[in-house]
Amino acid sequence: MNSRSNLGWTLVGAICAIVLAALWAAPLLWALSTALRPELETVSADFHWLPQTWTLDAFAKTLGAGNLVRWLFNSALVALAVTVITMAISLMAAYAFSQLRFRGKGLLFALAMLAFLLPFEALLVPLFRTMNQLGMINSYAGIVLPQVVSPVVIYVFKQFFDGIPADFREAATMDGAGPLRVLWSVYLPISGNIVWAMAIVTFIAAWNNFLWPFIIVTSNDMMTVPLGLTQTYDAFGVRYAQLMAAALLGALPVALAYVVFQKKVTQGFLAASGLKG
Amino acid sequence: MASVRLRGIQKRYGDNLVIKGIDLDVEDGQFVVFVGPSGCGKSTLLRMIAGLEDISAGTLELGGRPCNDVDPARRGIAMVFQSYALYPHMTVAENMGFALKLAKVPKTEIAERVRRAAAILQIEHLLERKPKALSGGQRQRVAIGRAIVRKPEVFLFDEPLSNLDAALRAQTRVELAHLHRELGSTMIYVTHDQVEAMTLGQKIVVFNGGHIEQAGTPLELYERPANRFVAGFLGSPRMNFVPATLAGEEGATAAVRLPDGSIAEVAADVGRVRAGAALTLGIRPEHLRLANAAESGIAATVALVEYLGDVVLVHLQVAGVDGTLAAKVNAGSAVPAVGSRVGLRFDAGHAYLFDDAGLAFAPSRTREAVHAGLQ
Repeated sequence: MNSRSNLGWTLVGAICAIVLAALWAAPLLWALSTALRPELETVSADFHWLPQTWTLDAFAKTLGAGNLVRWLFNSALVALAVTVITMAISLMAAYAFSQLRFRGKGLLFALAMLAFLLPFEALLVPLFRTMNQLGMINSYAGIVLPQVVSPVVIYVFKQFFDGIPADFREAATMDGAGPLRVLWSVYLPISGNIVWAMAIVTFIAAWNNFLWPFIIVTSNDMMTVPLGLTQTYDAFGVRYAQLMAAALLGALPVALAYVVFQKKVTQGFLAASGLKG
Repeated sequence: MASVRLRGIQKRYGDNLVIKGIDLDVEDGQFVVFVGPSGCGKSTLLRMIAGLEDISAGTLELGGRPCNDVDPARRGIAMVFQSYALYPHMTVAENMGFALKLAKVPKTEIAERVRRAAAILQIEHLLERKPKALSGGQRQRVAIGRAIVRKPEVFLFDEPLSNLDAALRAQTRVELAHLHRELGSTMIYVTHDQVEAMTLGQKIVVFNGGHIEQAGTPLELYERPANRFVAGFLGSPRMNFVPATLAGEEGATAAVRLPDGSIAEVAADVGRVRAGAALTLGIRPEHLRLANAAESGIAATVALVEYLGDVVLVHLQVAGVDGTLAAKVNAGSAVPAVGSRVGLRFDAGHAYLFDDAGLAFAPSRTREAVHAGLQ
């Protein structure tokens, strides 16, 4: 009786998992199916799940005629720079908020967290004006700098640092380490998993970011992948096969990065949530 | 090695004065134990000496050098933390050599000093392990090793044995005493465990409420406590306290009336109070003797008997006394049953008197000669 009921629940669970997986995978598979059709078939009135004519034309055209390689390079450079600088700033800010004693610490932290309440869209115009005045339109610095302060990452690191016994900092201080050295040699290695998790999340967010690059970049050569995807149309309208091919090619590096670092990301989130990994 | 001199040391958190003006001298090479209940300020003072807490007022001198504003790493001090604070991502050797690496000591010298310290502590076989692969006792040794490697002038220990089990604690206590003899360094050791204080310290400093209650050798503090707090804090089980009133004084002996109306004699100089003054009589459990109820003595009822192997602790209820009194009886002697009535006796020379402010009356000069007991 008991084992039958267990089997029933296992089946229900498995069916739910399959349905959810199908819902998640359907758009991805549809994108792949579209990218493997001739352009004409993508706008055909007849609906078919699979291509009637299989072709890699869209991929070839995207890689050959378009600027995808350049966009991939731009995306990689921007996402990497955003990740490295965000990690550096967030770690130092979180360490200061968590471990150092200084006047106005609470107020400063509250101000940093207030940035949560401001939607990025509200900052678009002043940020654009500032970047324009600094001559950073169509520059890597212009794309990267407004993305490098992340209250969420600061908050997560601070919470994590708060949980590390102060004895480590004090022992390192007695060993002769200054604040930066304590952060680099003690807190950073102890926080390895959570730093990896935040770095991957930041990298993916920066890779996928569309709005800010869309505002700050006008030159085709400075575009990132999400921005470049909007260029896959011509006078006759959007080229869906090329669009999907470019989207898949653009997402591929991030997907691969996630697969490679999946274990560290999971361990990091477990560490952040206080569960043992 | 260096002496430590504290003058008027205060620590203030906002309006809250937690260390209330400490004057203390620790001699070069001395093993001093700070002891007191939780929150008495002993760890805070240790951290102030280490440089981990600012000094609000007063002067700290290490080896005759004013050190109030000197960086912790430049004070010539090493500290062993209660949690050991071993860096989990470093091996034992890296943990022990970290301070030297920061000081840019050549790698060969670091390796040699780490090896030498490891040899002293017999942890050479652990050098390549990470802290998570060590037992509590091994971690404790590594933490001490990390301090030794720096060749400090003063060692600070912040309750280093509190995470060890009873057997390991006793063993490590002996090893620490041996280490002190071997290194000859000045050591300041914080604990709330009075057994550690009595066994390790050449000098014990008893803290309470942010000030020093008494400082002296273990025997001085045990035999001549300055006040009721020190008398109650040192000794296990703690000293028994019985409310009393001064009935009279005759030569070197004070007569006090106990709650049950009986009169007891104590060899104490009570000249500063008058007859009728409220006092507290203090008797250590090992100095209480059980007698037949029919004999003279304080009438008591046996509430509980604890067999500890070598001794038996007998807990007794006495009319007019809050809680119970404890008497230590040799395991071989006859032990009364729970509920039976007994008489309690003690020697006048082994009892203490405290005034209503808790200050002890000095023992009279003839104390050792007086064995009056109860009338």
